[in-house]
Amino acid sequence: MLIFRKPLEGIERPQMPADVVIVGGGPAGMACALRLSQLIDAHNAKNPDSQLSKENIYVLEKAREIGQHCLSGALLDPRSMRELLPGFEKQAPLDAEVTKEAVYFFTQNGKFKLPVTPPPLRDHGNYVISLNRFVKWLGSKVEEAGITVFTGFAGAKLLTDGDRVTGVQTDDKGVDKQNQQKSNFEPGYDIQAKVVVLAEGTRGSLTKELIAKFDLAKDCNPQTYGQGIKELWEVPAGRIAPGEVIYTMGWPLTPKEYGGAWIYGSKDNVISLGFVTALDYPDPRTDPQHVLQEFKRHPFVAQLLEGGKMVRYGAKSMPYGGWWSIPPVAGNGWIIIGDSAGFLNSARLKGIHLAIKSGMLAAETAFEALLKDDSSAATLDTFQEKVKSSWIKQELWKVRNFHQAFEHGFWRGMFHAGLQQFTGGRGLYNRYPSTSGHQHMKKLADLPADGGNEANLIGPVKGDGKLTFDKLTDLYHSGTKHEEDQPAHLVIHDTNICHTRCVKEFGGPCQNFCPANVYEMVDDSTQPNGKRISLNPSNCVHCKTCDIADPYQIITWVPPEGGGGPNYEGM
Amino acid sequence: MKILVCMKQVPQKDAPLKLNESATWVREDVSYEVNEPDAYALEEALRQKEKHKGEVVVITSGPARAQQVLREALAKGADRAIHLEDNAFIGLDAFNTAKAFAAAIKDEQFDLIFTGLQSDDYGYAQTGVILAELLGWPHATIIMQIEKTDGGIKVKRELEAGYFQFVDMPLPAVLTIQSGINKLRYATLIGIKQAKNKPLRKVTLADVQSAIGANMQKIERLYIPQKMKNTEFIEGAPGEIAKKLVEKLRNEVRVI
Amino acid sequence: MADTILVVVEQREGKLNRVSWETLTAGQALSAETGWPLEAAVVGKGVSAVAAEVAGKKLTKVYAVESEKLEPYTPDSFSTALKQFISTKLPKLVLMPHTYQVRDFIPKLATAMGRTVISDCIGYKKEGDKLLFTRQMFQGKLAADVSFTGDAPWFATFQNGAFRGDKVEAGASAAPVETVSVEIADGVVRNKPQEVFKEAKQAVDLTQAEIIIAVGRGIKEQKNIEIAKQLAEALGGELAASRPICDSGWLPMDRQIGSSGQTVAPKLYLALGISGAIQHIVGMKGARTIIAVNKDSEAPIFEIADYAVVGNLFDVVPPLIEEVKKVKAGS
Repeated sequence: MLIFRKPLEGIERPQMPADVVIVGGGPAGMACALRLSQLIDAHNAKNPDSQLSKENIYVLEKAREIGQHCLSGALLDPRSMRELLPGFEKQAPLDAEVTKEAVYFFTQNGKFKLPVTPPPLRDHGNYVISLNRFVKWLGSKVEEAGITVFTGFAGAKLLTDGDRVTGVQTDDKGVDKQNQQKSNFEPGYDIQAKVVVLAEGTRGSLTKELIAKFDLAKDCNPQTYGQGIKELWEVPAGRIAPGEVIYTMGWPLTPKEYGGAWIYGSKDNVISLGFVTALDYPDPRTDPQHVLQEFKRHPFVAQLLEGGKMVRYGAKSMPYGGWWSIPPVAGNGWIIIGDSAGFLNSARLKGIHLAIKSGMLAAETAFEALLKDDSSAATLDTFQEKVKSSWIKQELWKVRNFHQAFEHGFWRGMFHAGLQQFTGGRGLYNRYPSTSGHQHMKKLADLPADGGNEANLIGPVKGDGKLTFDKLTDLYHSGTKHEEDQPAHLVIHDTNICHTRCVKEFGGPCQNFCPANVYEMVDDSTQPNGKRISLNPSNCVHCKTCDIADPYQIITWVPPEGGGGPNYEGM
Repeated sequence: MKILVCMKQVPQKDAPLKLNESATWVREDVSYEVNEPDAYALEEALRQKEKHKGEVVVITSGPARAQQVLREALAKGADRAIHLEDNAFIGLDAFNTAKAFAAAIKDEQFDLIFTGLQSDDYGYAQTGVILAELLGWPHATIIMQIEKTDGGIKVKRELEAGYFQFVDMPLPAVLTIQSGINKLRYATLIGIKQAKNKPLRKVTLADVQSAIGANMQKIERLYIPQKMKNTEFIEGAPGEIAKKLVEKLRNEVRVI
Repeated sequence: MADTILVVVEQREGKLNRVSWETLTAGQALSAETGWPLEAAVVGKGVSAVAAEVAGKKLTKVYAVESEKLEPYTPDSFSTALKQFISTKLPKLVLMPHTYQVRDFIPKLATAMGRTVISDCIGYKKEGDKLLFTRQMFQGKLAADVSFTGDAPWFATFQNGAFRGDKVEAGASAAPVETVSVEIADGVVRNKPQEVFKEAKQAVDLTQAEIIIAVGRGIKEQKNIEIAKQLAEALGGELAASRPICDSGWLPMDRQIGSSGQTVAPKLYLALGISGAIQHIVGMKGARTIIAVNKDSEAPIFEIADYAVVGNLFDVVPPLIEEVKKVKAGS
């Protein structure tokens, strides 16, 4: 019997008041905290008689250490960091400045280089970074500034009162697999906060709760997502120059799937490479980890990695929907920033700089709220205004219809993208609609048994152990670890659907889209179709794909006990 | 009861380790965590404090990053921390580390000193015992249970092969604590906040320099162990395989 | 004084702890390579029988270090006695097996003499004039060659299984045994130990097990674990499992070996129906001997196995149990 995690009821919870609680210590959350600290310092310097305190400003980070759950390619557009910390280049851990870009279209054995790098993919002036190391550094600045970062604590539940968000409840610790208290049980705290800033990253769980509760997404395009799978490689010297950026499209995907790869040369002969597969592919047997392994077999990539060693693996989803998918981002007592809101430029494949900028604007808003002692929508809504009049909107407006057109295939998408380039993002209509990715999933009955054109993308990979790897071996290199004795945090609302319908209709796609082997359909003669869903929750890398891609939308990912998760050192 | 807990920061258990340039130690750029046996020593100390009132002080030696271990201990309920802070402390052998600790605590009056069983990086299991000898205190190792008695304490020692032993000891004493004897407590949000205001005394290398001497042992080289493996396939009918395996178990592996 | 090697063997209640033969083997090997004569010492009360047994091996002399106060064992008494004895003999090298008892007193003894111990060694190397002791670091992930940079006597302990006790050479004739009385003043011994007793352990510490029989998914059903249990009993080993077995609740979590369980390096690791996923391998690849039984000839576990059986464990294990029992009964 699967028992799922939920906050214990009927217990007394310690209360902790807060001025601002920022849920999530990624680039958005840390930028918000740092900016807030700067504003308070400046204010205090000018107003010795009415000082504001930083004592009650908190960042909640579910990882054991700052940056441990941060994963991205990544390329940093320094625009917002220069605003936050002028001269930051001198102290931040930047791996290389981008020197060279190339975009390729791959076929199975060949490649075609685009003669002109499409403007969104031009990266001169940007930096190759490890987001994990960058956020570690940024986090250290936040702590130096006197803001408390609670690592190992997750935001488990929103506290609300009517239409107000009044705070956040942290995770219950020391709960066993049956949801019973262990001898070292510690209840999650009720943090009563004036302002709650949700900076949980892609598909935030509290953000999802908030959107559902207040029906925030009713006027938006549904958010759509991709899954990025990354491997970090150490290769022999001279294979790729630090700062060399390569993007690929095409093989191994067919025109029916959207996605592509990145290859970035970092310092010390390290290559960051990964494949993003949009989570709206038609064949439920598609396995994005398999796609990455297949991609590496292309002669160009295989040559690049020859004799090298894979040192780290990870995966994360990312919001592709763009401007029209962003819900209202502020209200009574709450603000949403970063990937949780959907501030990502899917044409440029960049979101870190937008996350940082959104964090800064949220800080300015929260600061005003503290000054006025009013954190109702009246004050916090100005965040929405700030975003609209900032370069966040300027940038995202130009690509507001980018991803939607790709829902109808690669070539149509390219056509529209081209059109949008010349019409300031408008394309054929001001607002292109979108549909949720999971709705694109076809039933097995409607697909060729052997996968047809997608045959090389479906099902698990065995791997050769040198260039390609099976999922478990890859997973081992994510360093993921959780307290074993705790309830399953992948909440499946109706396992009957798994056993009676999904097994037949889609064949249990969770086994394929999860990059961490969390989901397994095991033999069980007592079940109507002979299979039962079995979970390995401690494998989870917190990518949120299951919450996004499950065709029945019956999976809710909630944070497991704080401190657990992947260890994205260097990612 | 005034209890000192000696704690060490070590590379994370599953951290990928890289050798430094001289191949005499590992590179610094790795994730660290508290030495797991020390976490159990701390837990035991906190439980004793809860039972008998008193003070729990934590001490560590190492670079600035080692402070994290002390902060976590303070967040869990330790009262004070002592940090012998200097990169050079990493290179000291167990004897010198114990000497440095003894020097750092010379003005204190502890009833008990706990250490973890051994460290996850060196695995020497010596520092606690050496410290006891330097202080002239009795000690006991691999302790599972501690009870206060009129004459001092009664401890339960773990021996090999499922044997145990109770030992009566006077105070003050040094105990090395077995892992896994208790469930480790979590630090709470309040605990973490309060930890910031708890006293943390820094001790420099210069402060203890006169107490320590030259190391008496040296790691000449550190390397990845190479295992030459020639897999021998055992074939035949199940009965034959059984006989062949038993022959190996008897003569090669020597377990029968 | 000439350089000598002194092996301090371990005895309990007048019986020699057999691991001491391994230390003697090490001592004999070192003696052959360095040319330093080998001697041994037994410490306790009424240990002449043990001393005589040791004297049957190839070494130059055996000392019975005697005192009333050496029974029962306490670190104070052993450290005081050995300090006295070693201070008169001043061997170059003092070797002991890395037992729980030795760990309890050898750092104290060395410190009292202003010396150092390299503990838990798995071997040694002689490079020219330099003697290096090899030990595992970071739970077996790395190895270190360590040298003594201070004065002798040098103290070292050897890990259980590092040397083969059965390879200790017998002496052509019995070595002379000298009884040495040591003075342990009143008040020196501060600990008051009670009788040792046996108890079912609450939690299993697999890291101390010499023989481990581990099961994986190949065991198919919970009830089949019984045959693995029987094999473990026949061999005197502990039962362990890969993660899926513990996740299913078929065995408790403290029996789990692997990156999310325990890391072990026993003398023998017998893997039944375990494929050898990297998450499991990292927990046991330090084992001295690995035997694997698996139906799949390509199972990754075979890459690290010393002995491999490609076959159905349900066919192989029952006759194995019988054969083990037969041989053990006969010997």
